[in-house]
Amino acid sequence: MASEAQSTEISSLFERFLRHRDMSLFLPFFLGFTENMSVRENPENPQDPDQETPTNSSDRIILINPFTQGMVVIEGTANLDSLLRNVLATKDGQPPASKASVEAMPSFKIDVEMGGGECAICLEEYEDGEMAKEMPCNHRFHDKCIDKWLGIHGSCPVCRYKMPVDEEETDNKIRDHEHEQRREIWALCLQRHTNARIVLHSISNTF
Amino acid sequence: MIDFSRVQKELQECSRDMESSGIKVTPVSDNLVNLSGTIPGPIGTPYEGGIFKIDITLPDGYPFEPPKMHFVTKVWHPNVSSQSGAICLDILKDQWSPALTLKTALLSVQALLSAPEPDDPQDAVVAQQYLREYQTFVGTARYWTETFAKTSSLGVEEKVQKLVEMGFPEALVRSSLEAVGGDENLALEKLCSG
Repeated sequence: MASEAQSTEISSLFERFLRHRDMSLFLPFFLGFTENMSVRENPENPQDPDQETPTNSSDRIILINPFTQGMVVIEGTANLDSLLRNVLATKDGQPPASKASVEAMPSFKIDVEMGGGECAICLEEYEDGEMAKEMPCNHRFHDKCIDKWLGIHGSCPVCRYKMPVDEEETDNKIRDHEHEQRREIWALCLQRHTNARIVLHSISNTF
Repeated sequence: MIDFSRVQKELQECSRDMESSGIKVTPVSDNLVNLSGTIPGPIGTPYEGGIFKIDITLPDGYPFEPPKMHFVTKVWHPNVSSQSGAICLDILKDQWSPALTLKTALLSVQALLSAPEPDDPQDAVVAQQYLREYQTFVGTARYWTETFAKTSSLGVEEKVQKLVEMGFPEALVRSSLEAVGGDENLALEKLCSG
């Protein structure tokens, strides 16, 4: 009897967590399902379609989200490094444009008679004598406005044309933060399955 | 530093074509950091007929950083937290561009109401319902719209009466309603939290 009451208590506690979406308590556990676990969970099975193309087991990562009852399997040649790179790039948006590419953009003095309009960043009308820059995609902005933006994200504000990125800087950033961000990145994988080659399976009634 | 002259321009533009877009942005405080937006629920969705209030906070780096937005009106939608009103929308995060404005961002939120993305959920419970029991989802979303997004049509006295009937003292009801700008649900939340 006592144990029954206890289990009811636990299940109501669990329900409360679900209702309050207090996932953070559970996430670390579920994010812990890594490569090794997946190997144990997937014994050699000739009928398993996933086994058709034999892949190196260390190249497969399984992520399980107990709340949507979804599972993300990342497999194939995507090693952790390139995965990190992809996820980092999407997490923070487009990285800043390289200095060289920003310096290479032609700048010019605005002549309203040659064509006015407004800067899409500050929404101010162009005035004679102001300095503007033209991006490779032909979109023009005040030089100050676009320089500031490209220092944060290297993409055109209007058409999202991607400016060249300083590779070295990005690599260092990845190396520095690789360790700390690993867990966070997995969490992101659960939410965003756009990059890398990711297969999404729905596994009903597993949890 | 927030580009206040741009914010001013945006507010003017918004009020100019409010009639056609149905989207409203008004400052909450004099400093133009806290704003309040409203969007009409898109026609042909369970949100039709509702007016949804969105709280907007401008970060220091605006417009180089996205505005922070969350629903004040409760919404049943896979990409909106049913608890906190947090919105899962890429342009409010890493896909922000300074060429977007408060109005276009609110239009995107309105478009999100029309086209949920349950594979990138903010609220897992709602997303699961959307995917598995679509009719139940539509029913719940419509009920939430009726209950939370349409009450502003009630007169103040009706709101007072409704809350008093729930057992709150009238003076407290009136002061709470006033404090939250007449929103019945917010007043109720305030009363409940003491």
